[in-house]
Amino acid sequence: MTKKIFLEKLENGLSGLPREDIQEKIAFYSEMIDDKMEDGKTEQEAVSETGSVEDIVSQLASVTPLKKLVKEKIRPVHKLGALEITLIVLGFPLWFPLIVAVAAVVLSLYVSVWAVVISLWAVVLSLFTGFIGGLAGAVVFAVQDRPLSAGILLSSAIILSGLAIFMFLGCKALSRGLAAGTKKAVIRLKSSLIRKGRSQ
Amino acid sequence: MDIQLKRGLLDICVLAAIREQDSYGYKIIKDMKPYIELSESTLYTILKRLEAADMLTVRTAEHEGRLRKYYRITAGGISRIEEFKKDWKEIVSIYNFVTKEDADND
Repeated sequence: MTKKIFLEKLENGLSGLPREDIQEKIAFYSEMIDDKMEDGKTEQEAVSETGSVEDIVSQLASVTPLKKLVKEKIRPVHKLGALEITLIVLGFPLWFPLIVAVAAVVLSLYVSVWAVVISLWAVVLSLFTGFIGGLAGAVVFAVQDRPLSAGILLSSAIILSGLAIFMFLGCKALSRGLAAGTKKAVIRLKSSLIRKGRSQ
Repeated sequence: MDIQLKRGLLDICVLAAIREQDSYGYKIIKDMKPYIELSESTLYTILKRLEAADMLTVRTAEHEGRLRKYYRITAGGISRIEEFKKDWKEIVSIYNFVTKEDADND
């Protein structure tokens, strides 16, 4: 890929950012490629070393605050006319509840996923409580000299503890995975905001 | 390595790379290369962050008929490096304590 094509691709990839931000980043990578070529690398090498546009975009997405990206996204490209403003105001009863509803659905889906995880944690807790209870019961029966009941309770307690450990590990992995997934989803959302640019 | 920790350390590395004399993007990466690999995108975000924190200043100068940005360390940047050196002594003594038992067991 030539430097020119790479920079064009990059500019496209960053189109969701403010104009001056894009220019600054293009200048940075352009200078980088020029310096590499001055250092004796071919244009091809210099460009391929710079990495892919996708990587650059996702790297940027991970460090740019979501608020800044959204702000840029919703900034109108041209000044709104009187008709458009009137329509927006009159349409308020329509679009506002729609936005709220969509946000509420997304949020509730997300919360319900976490709710499942939390309920699984509750199972872990109850298994553990059962284990403690079984252990205490076994001691009581042992003191009362009822070895059979004590033995049954003790073995159930051991089974419960095994289940508790097993589920604990599973829940831990699940919670971690979900947290990592959330982080990834946020970066993907931000990347798409950087990439697609303004809607009009 | 912990991301926050690494981020902080890379900031110091970049400051150190421009401490002796003003430098530019490609040279910073090249100077750091024998010690630590740094991607261009990472360098970009570090430079922006350091500039916003007043630890370095940027000027654009002509070079071979094109523009190049040069970065200069500020007093704030220098004191950040000094701060790190002091912190480092503490970290080393913590490290020595943490690895003490390993050495005893050997």
